[in-house]
Amino acid sequence: METRIENHPILGDTKKGKPVTFTYNDMEVQGYEGEPIAAALKAAGIMVHRYTKKEHKPRGIFCAIGRCTDCVMVVDGKPNIRTCVTPLKQGMKVQTQYGVSADTFDKQQRGV
Amino acid sequence: MVNDRLRDIGEFVPSADDDMIICRCEEITKGEIRKAVHDGMFTLTEIRRYLRCGMGLCQGQTCSKHVKNIVAKELGISPAELEPATSRVPMRPIEMRIFANEAKEVRSDE
Amino acid sequence: MKRYDLIIVGAGPSGLSAAIEAAKRGMNVIVFDENERPGGQLFKQIHKFFGSKEHKAKVRGFVIGKQLLDEAAETGVKVILNATVIGLYQDKEIVVKIGEAVEHYKGNSIIIATGAAENMVTFPGWTLPGVIGAGAAQTMMNIHGVKPGSKILMLGSGNVGLVVGFQLLQCGCEIAALVDAAPRIGGYGVHAAKLARTGVPFYLSHTIVEAEGDACVTGVTIAEIDSSFNFIPGTEKHFDVDTICMAVGLSPMSQLLKMAGCKMEDNPKRGGQVPICDEYGRTSIPGIFVAGDVSGIEEASSAMIEGRMAGIAAAEYLGYIDENELNKELASLDKALSGLRQGMFAPENRGRLIEKTDEGIAVSDSLLKKGYVADDEIERFPGFTHTKGIHPVMECTQNIPCNPCQDACPKGCIKIGKDITALPAVDDSVSCIGCGMCVASCSGQAIFLVDETYEEGYASITMPYEFFPLPEIGIKGKALGRDGQIVCEAEVINVKSLPAFDKTNLLTIKVPVEYASKARFFKAE
Repeated sequence: METRIENHPILGDTKKGKPVTFTYNDMEVQGYEGEPIAAALKAAGIMVHRYTKKEHKPRGIFCAIGRCTDCVMVVDGKPNIRTCVTPLKQGMKVQTQYGVSADTFDKQQRGV
Repeated sequence: MVNDRLRDIGEFVPSADDDMIICRCEEITKGEIRKAVHDGMFTLTEIRRYLRCGMGLCQGQTCSKHVKNIVAKELGISPAELEPATSRVPMRPIEMRIFANEAKEVRSDE
Repeated sequence: MKRYDLIIVGAGPSGLSAAIEAAKRGMNVIVFDENERPGGQLFKQIHKFFGSKEHKAKVRGFVIGKQLLDEAAETGVKVILNATVIGLYQDKEIVVKIGEAVEHYKGNSIIIATGAAENMVTFPGWTLPGVIGAGAAQTMMNIHGVKPGSKILMLGSGNVGLVVGFQLLQCGCEIAALVDAAPRIGGYGVHAAKLARTGVPFYLSHTIVEAEGDACVTGVTIAEIDSSFNFIPGTEKHFDVDTICMAVGLSPMSQLLKMAGCKMEDNPKRGGQVPICDEYGRTSIPGIFVAGDVSGIEEASSAMIEGRMAGIAAAEYLGYIDENELNKELASLDKALSGLRQGMFAPENRGRLIEKTDEGIAVSDSLLKKGYVADDEIERFPGFTHTKGIHPVMECTQNIPCNPCQDACPKGCIKIGKDITALPAVDDSVSCIGCGMCVASCSGQAIFLVDETYEEGYASITMPYEFFPLPEIGIKGKALGRDGQIVCEAEVINVKSLPAFDKTNLLTIKVPVEYASKARFFKAE
């Protein structure tokens, strides 16, 4: 399915920044500079942004305006980054977040 | 009347949807909230302190209405009778590092 | 600490309107908004607004947003973005996070225009990726140009659910069903009809049983509910969808007012916790005002007027204008606002079942339950006429505050009158020239041009069409009825796109004359 809206009956051509490449869990993904990380992930068909701390349940985009914080991920090593309001840059390292830290659940347990 | 702690609200009766997540941020279930009422938490402020529902990153944006309705139903009152939980600074999540920047500013003023 | 005459929190329709009015009167105004862009929800609104000229009717929301921003810039309003207000105190002190710093500002007056937050409903699976708010859907598709999903279930039949549902179709998504627990559609009938005629099924008195999927949504089950909101066994329906979109109401974001110590109340008619205030937004604390959704959920059109009122009231509070001027200004705004608050959807009618229009015509039951006026109901409305030659057919059947069609007709053949909620009627004595201005002007897309004498045995029907790809002349396909079901074969005989139509294309199809009153949409083969 084409997830990008190339030509809109009311809005016309949506203006995009220049194409950039970033990584999602070490996989290379294309996006546009300045768009929210979440938009680029959504366009690439990536739905799961993180797994919750207590129940390890998947979460993704929910409010898309930076309020609910369900879409937080580890970006360039920093956890709890709201991907729906954080602009995408060339070479960004975006990773699934486990709980509230930058580590995987495995590492978190061993750390204790 | 809401704060009449001697009021008999009956025993906690388990319900099929008790494991439903209500507070998405802190992963608090409906059952936990209902139990908290039976444990004596009759106000939204107490529930929030006791369970942390509404104290997560979104600050109760999504769940506060749900929590209010669940607590009201458990107490057998109308949700409108429940005082909303206290609103205080900071209204939005903020990094401690940034929040601490204010302290510096105040000190330099002194 | 910096001091301003007026500090406004929120750069949406009401906040910006307030800022403009205050700045025009010489006040030193600063507006804080936590978002990256100003305009609040206006830039996500791509439909034409309702109301009359003074409410910017038939102008699309994002265009109104641009106009407001231009006006704010001209009047010298300072808008600070990415500025999150984290505290408000009784003495009108504001604590705001801007970038990496926490700053304090003092306002001689303050207007809180923080708007509203979306309500959500809970069901098993509601935390799965793929369950989103309607606002999220609008943000993704209309701001970021990304489809929120491919097959979507919309929960909520209020104006938000209906409008966002239509926008989802416009960007190429499919809507599997529109579902609401209420027994009747909550939003404007014309918004529902736009969806229904494309084939979107409505399920009233239904709600979600559960969302399915492990990593994300792969399906959803809905079921009918009884009057005490219990599921009726055996009524389950399953849909393969990848997205569930919730449009189940809004709640005022009034926490800052509570923090400041304003008197608050729980008012279900206004959407929840709201400050107690007078009609011009004066709260219990002198100098603290409110405007827009934070004081009660309404449309953006009313939020803009409320904003202007609060801005003017703040100017009077600080002595920039005198009481006489205040009263004069407020009187005209009062009139504009009360115009919007008339009709079936007026705030005081919330939750009430209205059986007759102001004209005494029985309201379409099918419209309220299925989203379209049934073929045997449509004839009773004054806009639905049969005359020789081309003429407008107006399927506007509820008293909503809107009248652009009246001004659109260069011949003056559409009559609404002074009361903007009246149903439009056709003046038979004036002849229609078929220009289509009325079709394009109708924010509800409820006007069609019909010519029952187009050709021997055939009628022509001109309809508003806001989808891509635009069918070309000569293309054959099916005509769909108001219910979205196929009624007959049809051929596109004209496509008109004029700048004056503002992106509403006029598609004319030819159908056998016996279907002239039924065919209302076109699907290419």
